[in-house]
Amino acid sequence: MKFIVSSSYLLKQLQVLGGVINNSNTLPILDNFLFELDGNSLKVSASDLETTMMATLEVESQDSGDIALPAKLLLDTLKTFPEQPLTFTQHENNTVEISSNHGKYALAYADGAEFPNAVSLEDPSTVNIPGHVLATAITNTIFATGNDDLRPVMSGVFFQFSTEGLIFVATDAHKLVKYERSDVKASQTAEFIMPKKPLNLLKAILGGSEEMIAVEYNESNAKFTFENTELVCRLIDGKYPNYEAVIPKENPNKLTIDRNQFLNSVRRVSIFSNKTTHQIRLKIAGAELNISAEDIDYSNKAEERLTCDYQGDDMQIGFNSRFLTEMLNNLNASDVSVEMSLPNRAGILTPIDGLDEGERVTMLVMPVMLNN
Amino acid sequence: MDAFYASVEQLDNPDLRGKPIAVGGGGERGVVSAASYEARKYGVRSAMAGALARKLCPDLIFVRTNFERYRQVSDQIRAVFYEFTDLVEPLSLDEAYLDVTENKVGMPSATVIASWVRQRIKEETGLNASAGISINKFIAKVASDINKPNGQKTIPPEEVIEFLEQLDIRKFYGIGKKTAEKMYLKGIFTGMDLKSKTKEWLGENFGKSGVYYYDIVRGIQHSQVKPNRIRKSLAAERTFRENITSEIFMLEKLDHIAEEVARRLAKSEVAGKTITLKIKYSDFTLKTRSKTLDYYVRSKDVILETAKDLLYQEKMENSVRLLGISLSNLNTEDKKKEKSKKEKPIDVQVKFEF
Repeated sequence: MKFIVSSSYLLKQLQVLGGVINNSNTLPILDNFLFELDGNSLKVSASDLETTMMATLEVESQDSGDIALPAKLLLDTLKTFPEQPLTFTQHENNTVEISSNHGKYALAYADGAEFPNAVSLEDPSTVNIPGHVLATAITNTIFATGNDDLRPVMSGVFFQFSTEGLIFVATDAHKLVKYERSDVKASQTAEFIMPKKPLNLLKAILGGSEEMIAVEYNESNAKFTFENTELVCRLIDGKYPNYEAVIPKENPNKLTIDRNQFLNSVRRVSIFSNKTTHQIRLKIAGAELNISAEDIDYSNKAEERLTCDYQGDDMQIGFNSRFLTEMLNNLNASDVSVEMSLPNRAGILTPIDGLDEGERVTMLVMPVMLNN
Repeated sequence: MDAFYASVEQLDNPDLRGKPIAVGGGGERGVVSAASYEARKYGVRSAMAGALARKLCPDLIFVRTNFERYRQVSDQIRAVFYEFTDLVEPLSLDEAYLDVTENKVGMPSATVIASWVRQRIKEETGLNASAGISINKFIAKVASDINKPNGQKTIPPEEVIEFLEQLDIRKFYGIGKKTAEKMYLKGIFTGMDLKSKTKEWLGENFGKSGVYYYDIVRGIQHSQVKPNRIRKSLAAERTFRENITSEIFMLEKLDHIAEEVARRLAKSEVAGKTITLKIKYSDFTLKTRSKTLDYYVRSKDVILETAKDLLYQEKMENSVRLLGISLSNLNTEDKKKEKSKKEKPIDVQVKFEF
């Protein structure tokens, strides 16, 4: 088989697909891209068995055939070329020859049939989501996922589709994010847990894309289709924790504050906090928020005062500053509100402005119980 | 024990029996460590200069101290104590406090136990022992001196106040020559005199120990009998009336158990690093899961959080008849070092209750 393709066009596609490939594979064939040529259409796939991503490229060819080419070698080579047409020619001795304006390069290929087939979804349901909506949903939630092997369900993002709207939830048991869209609706109710890796890939590709993405899903798999790309992945099996139960309903203490100011203060003060606990202390009284941290081991100490709008009882509450910075960082609002009840109950962080129509973000963070 | 070192010497060497002997103090500047009862008649006392003792009792026989032997006898005596209770707080080689409120022989009378202990000591070592029996360590200690040698004295609760009131101030354990002199100057000669003083006054004149004696003379002393044995672990567990399967119920039980562990930790003033969850299934198979933290814990919350993690770590294999939490890796090994660590507050990251 033989085809001609633009070097930069191919590189761009392969770089996206390359994100799927693991650094070390038990199955050597997974170190390859699968090239499936059918006339002017070339389908390239990459897989780690859990996730498979495919892109269909337009090439110049009259042939057809399937081969698997070593991913690293190919990417390393393509990166060095300025834009130019490349000719791929399959030879009898199990090599593919690439010819460029500069010269010729031969690489060994494997039989395309060795490459594991992507699962085909049986009896799927479908929802169409604008690309930027899905990207924002992922960005807003993925940072809150856990890494605990003992609770695999919490290492993914929980997708909850209904006729009312879409809900995306992530939690690591310390922090929790619930991202809701009431402007995008599903035709029927569905719940599944998406693993982190394919979501990170999607997040990278989608960005601000206005394109509609078709999300198909069944019990065990999900498939995302957009433009020329398809991503199929296995879902995380298990029951997602009942997150609604941990969102406190009564929160008499409400703080409203400039997000940037708050974030900067937390960042600065946390430099002085204990290096393992990253613990900071918020003291709120009247219209003043006092943020302090102390690292007793090194006698480091910091304290800042901010004016805020506060309704509620004077209170003192401890937080892991990393959780707070992550959350504040992931919000776009210029003002945020923090609702609290007790020093041992979750604080609820919500943006006050900067939201799209139908968009709602609820972030929960569990406090550090201060022992003195 | 009565004239412990001297008695041991007399026991080991029949030639010395019935004679005034002094252990130690034979050298130029030596001090008598112990005097036999025969020597005491002459006024020879322990801690007396050897030369003076010789002057008081020209026939006094000086014997070299043999601590190894005394320790050996002491171990025999202690073994006897442990036959009756584990709550033994040694005061010296030959004295100890025993808490026999709950004892291994199931005898409710402490007076009877005292006589049994003395009898067993006689059997084991051939030595005489005296005992004091009362409601707290202080009164027991004072009482033990009353019927020495080879006797015992019980101060029952109803006599405690009277006993303390008539007690000569010099007999108060802890009040030595110097303090007694000071007390005399202030007109305190008996417990009754001491009792007439206010707490503030005692604090002003005798400092901390003055306040201590304010309580003591009222028969109040909360000091526990502290066994010297180094604690290796501390645990609490519960067997359920009915086997339980629901993790929700287990959580509730764990809450109680963690509370009990925390209470015991506080009582024994220890903290531990390793938290072990013990699960006994309905078929009596026993499983333990443990986690070692990098700091010492004693608060209920941390113990409970860790125990919960351990509970969820694996699925239950069966219904559960017993749950227990134990703490090991205790800070008893280097208590001093721990003191400074303990002062550092341990803050706990709270989790969602999934």
